[in-house]
Amino acid sequence: MLEKLGEVLRKATDKIANAIFLDKNLVDTIVRDLQRALIEADVNIILVKQLSDKIKKAALDERIKEIEKKEHIIKLLHDELVQILGEHRQLKLQSKQNRIMLMGLYGCGKTTTIAKLGNYYAKRGSKVALVGLDVHRPAAKEQLKQLAEKNKLTAFIEFEEDDAIKTWKLIKPKLKDYNVVLIDTAGRHNLDRELAREIKDLNKYIKPTESILVMPADMGQAAKKQAQEFKDAVDISGVIITRMDSSAKAGGALTACAETKAPVYFIGTGEKINDIEEFNPKQFLSRLLGMGDLQNLIEKIKSVTDEDKQKKIQEKLEQGRLSLEDVVEQVKSMQSLGGFDKIKSMIPGLGSAKIPEGVLEIQQEKIQKWEHIIKSMTPEEKENPEIFDDKKTAVSRINRIAKGAGVNNSEIRSLLKQYKMLNEMIKGSADMDMSQGMSQKQMMKLAKKFGKKKVRRF
Amino acid sequence: MFNKLKNKIKSWTKKVSEKSEVIKEEPVKEIKLPMKFNAGMQKFEPDLEKIKETAKEKSFLKKITSKITKVKISGKEFEIYSEELEMLLLENNVALEVAEKMIKLLKEKIVGKELLKKEIESEIKDSFEEIIKEILIEPFDLFEKIKEKTSDQSKEPYVVLFCGINGTGKTTTIAKIADSLKHKKISCVLAAADTFRAASIEQLKKHGDRIGVKVISHEYGSDPAAVGFDAIKYAKKNLINCVLIDTAGRMHTAKNLLKEIEKISRVCKPDTKIFVGESITGNDAIEQVKSFDWAIGIDGIILTKADIDKKGGTALSVGYVTKKPILYLGTGQEYDKIEVFNKEKFIEKLGLED
Repeated sequence: MLEKLGEVLRKATDKIANAIFLDKNLVDTIVRDLQRALIEADVNIILVKQLSDKIKKAALDERIKEIEKKEHIIKLLHDELVQILGEHRQLKLQSKQNRIMLMGLYGCGKTTTIAKLGNYYAKRGSKVALVGLDVHRPAAKEQLKQLAEKNKLTAFIEFEEDDAIKTWKLIKPKLKDYNVVLIDTAGRHNLDRELAREIKDLNKYIKPTESILVMPADMGQAAKKQAQEFKDAVDISGVIITRMDSSAKAGGALTACAETKAPVYFIGTGEKINDIEEFNPKQFLSRLLGMGDLQNLIEKIKSVTDEDKQKKIQEKLEQGRLSLEDVVEQVKSMQSLGGFDKIKSMIPGLGSAKIPEGVLEIQQEKIQKWEHIIKSMTPEEKENPEIFDDKKTAVSRINRIAKGAGVNNSEIRSLLKQYKMLNEMIKGSADMDMSQGMSQKQMMKLAKKFGKKKVRRF
Repeated sequence: MFNKLKNKIKSWTKKVSEKSEVIKEEPVKEIKLPMKFNAGMQKFEPDLEKIKETAKEKSFLKKITSKITKVKISGKEFEIYSEELEMLLLENNVALEVAEKMIKLLKEKIVGKELLKKEIESEIKDSFEEIIKEILIEPFDLFEKIKEKTSDQSKEPYVVLFCGINGTGKTTTIAKIADSLKHKKISCVLAAADTFRAASIEQLKKHGDRIGVKVISHEYGSDPAAVGFDAIKYAKKNLINCVLIDTAGRMHTAKNLLKEIEKISRVCKPDTKIFVGESITGNDAIEQVKSFDWAIGIDGIILTKADIDKKGGTALSVGYVTKKPILYLGTGQEYDKIEVFNKEKFIEKLGLED
């Protein structure tokens, strides 16, 4: 996602940084490129104009010296973009019962998001209940029920009741033991008076701790009005943006939220249950500019692996030693993140790297083969892959595994090679404390490292 | 709808006609008076006819003098104003690519042309209207097509395939169309080929129950093409006129899912393939519709959620990039909230026709 916008932003900063002299012509072209990219990302036109005016003004300001000017402009661009993206605010759970109510237009992904959020908080140790109050759309309740069953979440649904407030009254007494209550409401838009009244009433009865507006990323210039009017009707405390996995750049939705001062809590990045991320404007921008977003990557990995395994692997990482099985375990959890395709923009240096089409899919296939190979190994081989260094037995071992897994010998050799490389890399990075998050500097360093070695391997 | 765009275009054309450079041309002054002309030939009687004519000529000339202040819009001037027009279009949700193209076309029509000052406003309007007319393709009548194919008692049903990204309202739209078909006494069957999303089959079944049409469905996770195929088989057997196939919403960036819809299309051989999009989508609308058009080659477009926002730009964007007609607008949740897209009415609402 967002590759195109990121590319233009990167190019713009590069152009500024590499320019010997910032003359009016150059500034004009850079600003025009920026304008186009932002408009194509559905950023509000007025904001785009303001931003480009500011940059033009700074660039042609005679008082700032040339060298400082470049840095000044890049910083200005960066700051302005962060501002456009809005404040960073986390959805903080309170100690009492959290009632989180989701609302939005039709078909923006409320019900899917409820399930994702439920899973997100359940994985983090909360007792989660889903409540279905969409009494209007046919089969909305069934959808929530099916999603809950599939993901082992508890859902409270009243199939017989077709009044949202009465449903809530029926369900409310059953919710005592749950500390996170996620409430699904019917899709509506601002002009529909009846539904507007319903949501106001619901708001009154439920007294939600968080009222969240769900918005699709591909929404155009209409986004601002929608955000504003929802905010006027019910005090929106935050926003979740869905469909971020498409070619949409979410400029409309993101800027609308910044302007209406409704922080974006999460973004939805796919159809699967784990496809949800916390939104942090700075990190998001860093990803856009190709500097990766390791913090989010680590968060994501946390959400798909359980804690015990995580600890074990952490220990092994600290020793700088991973067994082949661990590697496959990691790779598998990576796949449940949505595969390389999804996470590559989070890895410093990879987001901007040009990876030819199809290569990632081939890589996925390769990983499946690796799994087969490792399954055909003896426990000893799995734990101590160094055993293959013994030239006497290596050939017969590899022959045996190749037969068992149904692959070529060369594929086993390439796996062993990759494993060795990975182990070396881990040794190199064992001194880095990932749990504390990374500083921008470290990230840049990593970005360089990956950026150079990289991609040939992929 | 679209009032905002209408007003803005009006104010823009006004500005151009007020501000553009005025080239004054001196009117031709030499007028031979008939008295002199006829002096020697007809002595005492002034030619009444001729005098009358001269009087006519005079008033005519007068008209010309007032109009002869001709105006030429230079390329530079056009650019200044066109930037404003572009912003207008963009603000009204027209995709950048399309807005740029429209401006370019307008420039070709306007710049360098000698225009009478009074005509500028109408000239710009006319040119702009022409451009929009060229962009929007005249929609066909789906119901007529269905009637046509099924009138000769052949056993082949008319198959319509619906596609689009997640949450645009495919299922609701199908229900609306099925309801209209029912009112028009055309029998139809629905195929629940969205086997992915939770409760999608139940949703379509509930619509089917309400409207009173049969829904063909399989298990979740089964092959959507097979569902479509079965529905067509059912229609053939029971002499049903029309099959509406509901498919799962899919991101246009997911290649495997595009392949899947291509397979559904290949197996079911639909007579009409309809892309269902949202009228509130911004620049991404063109990417979406392009991908689906590329994958299966769509025949028409339905824009939903047209009641949510008054900006009409998405219609222009998708119409332009696909060169396919927009058939209907979805304007609400009830079954009757579907409007035939009327090109003339759309243009009228833009305020270009006086």
